Amino acid sequence: MDIFPALLGVLSDPLLLGWVVLAAIVGMIVGAIPGLTASAAIAMLLPLTFYMEPLPALAFLYVIGKSGRYGGSIAAILFNTPGTAASAATQLDGYPLARQDKAGKAMKVATLSSVIGDFTGEILLIAGVAWIAALALKLGPPELFAVYFAAFIVIGSVIGKSVTRGLASAALGVLVAMIGLDPISSTERFTFGSFDLTNGIGLVPLMIGIFVLGEVFAQIEQRGQPSEMASGGGDANHNRLTWREYKPCLPHVARSSFIGAFIGMLPGLGSAIAAFVAYGEGKRRATSPEQWGQGALEGVAAPEAANNAVSGPSMAPLLTLGIPGSTIGAILIGVFLIHGIQIGPTMFLTSRDLIYALFACGLIGIVIYGLIGYFGAAFVGRFIVRIPTRVLYPVIFLTSFVAAYTSRGNLFDVYVMVAAGFAGWAMRKLDFNPAAFVISFVLAGGAEETFRQALLLSDNGLMIFVTRPLALLFLVIGCAALMMRLRSLKKQSGAGTVTP
Amino acid sequence: MALVLIGIGATVASFGISPDQAGRWGARYFPLAGSLALILLGLIELRAAPGGPVMERRHLPAIAALLGLSVVYVWAISALGYLIATAVAAPLALWIFRVRAPIGLAAAAVLSPALYHLIFFKLLGVFPPLGRYFDVLDVIGGY
Repeated sequence: MDIFPALLGVLSDPLLLGWVVLAAIVGMIVGAIPGLTASAAIAMLLPLTFYMEPLPALAFLYVIGKSGRYGGSIAAILFNTPGTAASAATQLDGYPLARQDKAGKAMKVATLSSVIGDFTGEILLIAGVAWIAALALKLGPPELFAVYFAAFIVIGSVIGKSVTRGLASAALGVLVAMIGLDPISSTERFTFGSFDLTNGIGLVPLMIGIFVLGEVFAQIEQRGQPSEMASGGGDANHNRLTWREYKPCLPHVARSSFIGAFIGMLPGLGSAIAAFVAYGEGKRRATSPEQWGQGALEGVAAPEAANNAVSGPSMAPLLTLGIPGSTIGAILIGVFLIHGIQIGPTMFLTSRDLIYALFACGLIGIVIYGLIGYFGAAFVGRFIVRIPTRVLYPVIFLTSFVAAYTSRGNLFDVYVMVAAGFAGWAMRKLDFNPAAFVISFVLAGGAEETFRQALLLSDNGLMIFVTRPLALLFLVIGCAALMMRLRSLKKQSGAGTVTP
Repeated sequence: MALVLIGIGATVASFGISPDQAGRWGARYFPLAGSLALILLGLIELRAAPGGPVMERRHLPAIAALLGLSVVYVWAISALGYLIATAVAAPLALWIFRVRAPIGLAAAAVLSPALYHLIFFKLLGVFPPLGRYFDVLDVIGGY
């Protein structure tokens, strides 16, 4: 019930509403630009939000994340290039629809499905998060470490083409997080005598490097390639969406929303996996599966509902356990910390109003990007195609430097950002997993703290993790996820070219 | 192979971390676990796929140019201040992205430092990085 006063509070604050509207527009545009993701936009804009009040700062970035996920569908449908990984499944039917001069219809289906999926996820988050937080308060250090361990394994092994490279990315993230002073004994670790390294590696420059500068490096390879846009307007009859056309999509939207919400709650899986699972499940249950891939409206509705339904529930592990479920969650940790807000289950005791106001901003943001998208997605598409990437990416290049400097007013951070940018590009080229690297970097501090606290509590050393039933359960979940992933890759490698 | 080498290096460095006053390994556990995991995963990679994905070499000169520009740009900021460094870096970045219009490059050299300076160092009030050897801000009195 806390959400209703929060909604009233947000609606009566014009400045906050202005930030939400701006975020909806920025996110949609950034998401629609092929190559740029909501994570990149959030990482780049993060230092600006240090100068804002906590709620507008969080709401601005949170809504960019939501509308950015939706914006990816515009590029997938119009340019046959997914704006984000999450919208790659939308492309399968979206672009064939655009080729049939039905781009407007496809974008309306994508908008409605995204809004329904996002709303479902957000409502589930609002209804369940306080309950999960109350449960999380009962977890001790051994259980929390087991949750971290499971998160490392899932994040490292489930995303990407290679399990070993995914896990190696996670291990690298842990090692980089260890640079600096040990928070308990103040012992220097991996500093090699450098004073700059004693402060550790900053989250903001690392994020900007991996997600923003890394993308600029990647875009060099696309220089000179013109964007081809399918007709975004065209015949009004082709682009009007009727209830009769959308009605068959609704069961797919409902199912996919729950698939997305469930996958969103699991750390690290993210929207791309949700979208493909929903697409596969939708096609399996479709009355005419042969039309999927040829331009079926249901084929747009299912992945769009799923990838947006991830957004709300992916905040649950972050807000209740302090474990980011996504790269956007990992970035938001930076905002919470900068504003002195301790994340974790106690947040619902200390910052309850702020959390529900953030949820309210999320709900309002969904409505706003839904309205803009329904009536203006084609315009956004035409706007994107006019932005010359050979000018856009140099601008992003320059902005990333000043943004990295702004976070702590330190040029060493800018060097870190450059190194992270090159590493991010190389990781993508070599099939490593930058998202696993960054999320593990964020998780490592909490995991180490709970591990060492658990050992201090234990009379039997490491046995504490197997004698506590809940801790053992999470360890088993982590190992089971790894085994299942290896089995599925083994099956795929029998038919294709996937490496274990 | 790179993973194994990084892992070995990190393992050696992990053993260089001092134990705490009670002689416990507390601060070493995680660095050591991460390093050993890296060695193990590197060995699995070596055994499973000796070749790995092939990187296209056609764009490597441009990537190297952008990386070089990035490093020199940060050094130039520390040496000559933000304004001069950005005035040089902006047209070079555009050049790497194949912008050849002289007016556009000249406009970028003038407008980029001015706009970023205005937004970040004036409006947001961030203290600008001053040049060690020379800074235009000293000449124009901070503005």
